[in-house]
Amino acid sequence: MIKEEIKKALQNANLGGALTRFSEAYAVSRARAYEGLNFEELREKIARAKAYVAENLEEIVQTFIRSAEKNGAKVFYTKSPEEVRKYIIELAKKHNVKSIVKSKSMATEEIHLNKYLKDEGIEVNETDLGEWIIQLAGQRPSHMVLPAIHLTRYDVSEVFTKKVEPIEPDIARMVKFARKHLRRKFLAADMGISGANIAIAETGTIVLFTNEGNARLTMTLPKIHVAVVGVEKLVARFEDIFPIIRALPRSATAQLITSYISFVSKPYTHIDGSQKDFHIVLLDNNRSSIAKDPVFKQTLQCIRCASCLNVCPVFRHIGGHVFGKVYTGGIGTILTAWTEGLKASKDIQGLCIQCGNCVRVCPGKIDIPELILEIRKRLAKEEGLSFKTKAIYSVVNNRKLFHSILRAASKIQKPFEKGGFIRHLPFFLSELTAERSLPAIADIPFRDRFKKIRQPKSQKKAIFFAGCLIDFAYPEIGEALVKLLNAAGIEVLFPEEQTCCGAPARYSGVMDVAANNSRQNVEALISIDADYIVSACPTCTVALKTQFIKDLKEQNYGEEIIRKAQKLSEKVKDASELINSLIKEGNIKFKDGKEQVFTYHDPCHLVRTLNIQKEPRESLLASGMKITEMFESDTCCGMGGSYSLKFPEISGTILKRKLENIKKTQVSLVCTDCPGCVMQIRGGVDREGLNIEVKHSIEVLAERMD
Amino acid sequence: MFELFKQKAEAISGEVHSFKSKAEALDFIKNFIRENTSNQSSKSVVWCDSPFLEGVDKDSLIEELPQIEFNIDLNSASSAKVGINQVDYGVAETGSLIEISEDVKRRLCSTLPEIHIAILPMSRIEPDLESVMRKIDINKIPYLTVISGPSRTADIERVLTIGVHGPERLIIVCIDNF
Repeated sequence: MIKEEIKKALQNANLGGALTRFSEAYAVSRARAYEGLNFEELREKIARAKAYVAENLEEIVQTFIRSAEKNGAKVFYTKSPEEVRKYIIELAKKHNVKSIVKSKSMATEEIHLNKYLKDEGIEVNETDLGEWIIQLAGQRPSHMVLPAIHLTRYDVSEVFTKKVEPIEPDIARMVKFARKHLRRKFLAADMGISGANIAIAETGTIVLFTNEGNARLTMTLPKIHVAVVGVEKLVARFEDIFPIIRALPRSATAQLITSYISFVSKPYTHIDGSQKDFHIVLLDNNRSSIAKDPVFKQTLQCIRCASCLNVCPVFRHIGGHVFGKVYTGGIGTILTAWTEGLKASKDIQGLCIQCGNCVRVCPGKIDIPELILEIRKRLAKEEGLSFKTKAIYSVVNNRKLFHSILRAASKIQKPFEKGGFIRHLPFFLSELTAERSLPAIADIPFRDRFKKIRQPKSQKKAIFFAGCLIDFAYPEIGEALVKLLNAAGIEVLFPEEQTCCGAPARYSGVMDVAANNSRQNVEALISIDADYIVSACPTCTVALKTQFIKDLKEQNYGEEIIRKAQKLSEKVKDASELINSLIKEGNIKFKDGKEQVFTYHDPCHLVRTLNIQKEPRESLLASGMKITEMFESDTCCGMGGSYSLKFPEISGTILKRKLENIKKTQVSLVCTDCPGCVMQIRGGVDREGLNIEVKHSIEVLAERMD
Repeated sequence: MFELFKQKAEAISGEVHSFKSKAEALDFIKNFIRENTSNQSSKSVVWCDSPFLEGVDKDSLIEELPQIEFNIDLNSASSAKVGINQVDYGVAETGSLIEISEDVKRRLCSTLPEIHIAILPMSRIEPDLESVMRKIDINKIPYLTVISGPSRTADIERVLTIGVHGPERLIIVCIDNF
C-alpha cells in the first residue's frame, strides 16, 4: 500500500517541486528570522515550560478550568473525542445552529468534527484559505501549516470554478474571491469554532495566531464561540507565552510575527447587545497517557510549528498525504501513534530516515527520530517481526556466519559486477540498483588485508573499529587510516572478534540483536589496551560512543558489561576528529602536491549527532586543497543504512537532489567521512555516468601525505 | 523608539504617518477619506469613539464628510470601506499595535473594512510585548489583539498576497502631542 502511495507522490511533480522549493527557501528565511535571537536559549525556555505542564498535567488542567470559569467561560474537559463531538452537536442543536464558520484547528481535524457536524445537517465552512480549498476539493491537508501546498493556482481555480463559481487562475483575484464568498458565510454563521495555539492556566486565556484574520472574524461575528483546545497547548504561567510568541511564527513560516495574535479571556457583550456565549473544550484524547510515558512525554513540548516537516529530506519529496495522517511528517507520526493507536503509525514510522535534521530546528527540543525509533521498537515488540526480518537478523547476530556469507557474496556477485560496481540485479532486487549502483563486495576484506600491513611498533596504540562497509566493501579506507595513524607514530590494532556495530538492527527496532552486537563488540574491543578506539564511519562512532551503553541497559545486561561499555566509550574518536588533531599537532605532514578543489558532504551522524563539521574541512584544507561548498551540504544523501533498501525510490530521489547540488559546484571531487555516504553518492555518480570522484576524506588525506 | 517602531511596521507592510498634533492628524484622516471614498455612496467610513474624538465636533465632521458613520453595528461596519479606531499601545520590536476591545465595536472597525486606520499616541509605544503586558491585566480584558501589518496569506503556491479576511491596508497615525 504505502509503496504505491510513495510512487504516486514521487511522480507528482507539483508536490515534490512545491515542497522542495519551499523547504529550500524556508531554511534560508528561517535562519534570517532568528537573527539576533538566541535560539538555543529560547527553545530551552519553551521546552522547560512545556515539560513542566507534561509533568503536572492534571493539576494545570484544573487551574485552567478554574481561571477560565472565573472569567465567565464555559469549560468542558474530556478525555474522549466522542464527548467533544457530542458537546458541540448538542450545543448547536440547542441554539438552532444552521451554519458554522471555523478557523484552522488541528484538534477538530483529529476528531473529524466536520464530518459529524455535516451528518447532523449543519453547514460547516473552513475559513483559512488553504483549509477552505482543501475542504472544497474534498481532500485532506498535505502539510500542517500549509494545507494546500500540493495544489497549483490552476488546481485551485478548477476547484473554485467547480464548487463555487467560475474564476480564472489568478492568485490575487482568487484571494479576493475567497474574501467575498467567505465574508457572506461569516455574516450568516450562528457559531464560530476555533482552535488555540496557547492556553494559559494562570489567567484562563486562549491565544490564537493567524495571518489572514479569519480567526478574529470566527470569534467575533457569530454569537457562539467554541474553542477546541488540546491540553498540550497549556502553559502554566502568563510569562511562558513570550518565548512561544517569538518562536512560533519564526519556526512556522519564518515570520517575525503573524498579522494577528488574539488573546481571548472572557465573554463580552455581543454585537446584538446580548451576552456572548463562550465555550472552551479541553481535549485530552490520550495526551495524559503521553504525559505519563517516560520516553514520549517530550511529545507534549510540541508547539505545532511544523518546522520538522519543512526541514525533512523525505517529507519534501512525498508530502503529508503519504507521510502522515491527520498530523503529518515526523511529529505527525508520533501524534498518529498516540491519537489513532500504535498500529496506525506502522507504515509511516518507517519513512523517517533518522537524519536528525528536525532535532536541530525543533523549538520544543523534541528528539523526533529517537521517538520514532521507540515506536519502531514497540511495534516490533507488539507485532513481532516478519519471517524475512527475523532471518536476516539471526544472521547478523552470528558474526562467523555473517562474515562467511559476506565472503561468499563476493564470489556470487561476479556475474553482476563491473568495475567495482553492481549495476543491475535480477528482477525483484532490481529496485535496489535502479537509482544507484551498489558497491561490489571486496575480494579480500580489510580484516585479511590488515594482517599483511607492516606497521612500525609504537607505545601509542589505536584500536580500529572497521564496521561492515569498510571491512567488506571499502577496505582501502581502512588501509588509508592505518597509513595516516602510522605516520603520526600510532600503531593500529584490529581485534578480529569485532562485528557489525548493530545499527541495522537498532534502526529497525530489533533491539535484542542490536544489544548482542553491542556486547560482542564491547568484549572484543576492551580485550586489548589502547589509547584510542577509532572508527571512520560516524554511524559506528555513534554506536561505540553512546548506543552500546544504551542498548545494554535497555536489554537488561549486567553491570559489568555496561561498565566496560562506558570505559570503552571514553576512548572513542571519530577518525575525522582524531586525524584533525594529529594534523594540528604537526604529526601528519603533507607534500606540496597539486592544488585540488573539492566539495564536502556532511554525513548526518557526523554533523548532527557528533557535532563534527569544521574538522574534516580543516584537515583537507591543511593538505593544500581548496573547497567549493555545495548547497545543503549537510542534507542527507538518502542512504540511511538499510533505509535505501526499504525505500529505494525515496532514497534515490533524495540522492538525485544531492547530485544536482554537487554538479552545480562544478567540482570533480566530493569528500565525505562516512563509507555509507561514499557508497550512496558514488553509486549515484556511477549510475549517471558523471565524471566525479567520491572519496572518504581519509583516503584523500593519505594520498596527499608527505 | 518611534523610529524602530516605524521601521518594523513598514517592514510588514504597515503605513506609518506621524503628526505633531491631533489637529494635523485629523486633517490627514479627512484628506484620506476624501481621496479614498466617495461622499455620494452611503456610509463608507466607520469611526469608533475614542479619546481622539473627544473635543472633535462630530456633527460638523459629518456635514463635511457625510460618508462617515459614528454609529457602529454589524451592518455599518461590514459595508464600510474604511474603519477608524484608536489603539492602546505600539510595540517597537515588531511594529505591532495592541488593540484592547472591551467594546466589540472597536474590533469591528479593525476586522471588517478593507482599510484600517489606527490612531496611536506616540507616548504609548513600548519597546516589546513584555512591557505592554506588564501594564495590563490580561484576564480582565475580554479580547486583545496584537495587530502586525495588514491581513495576509501565502496559501496558494506560497505567493504572499495582502488582504484576505482582514484589512488589506493598515494605516497607522501616530500623534506626538496627544
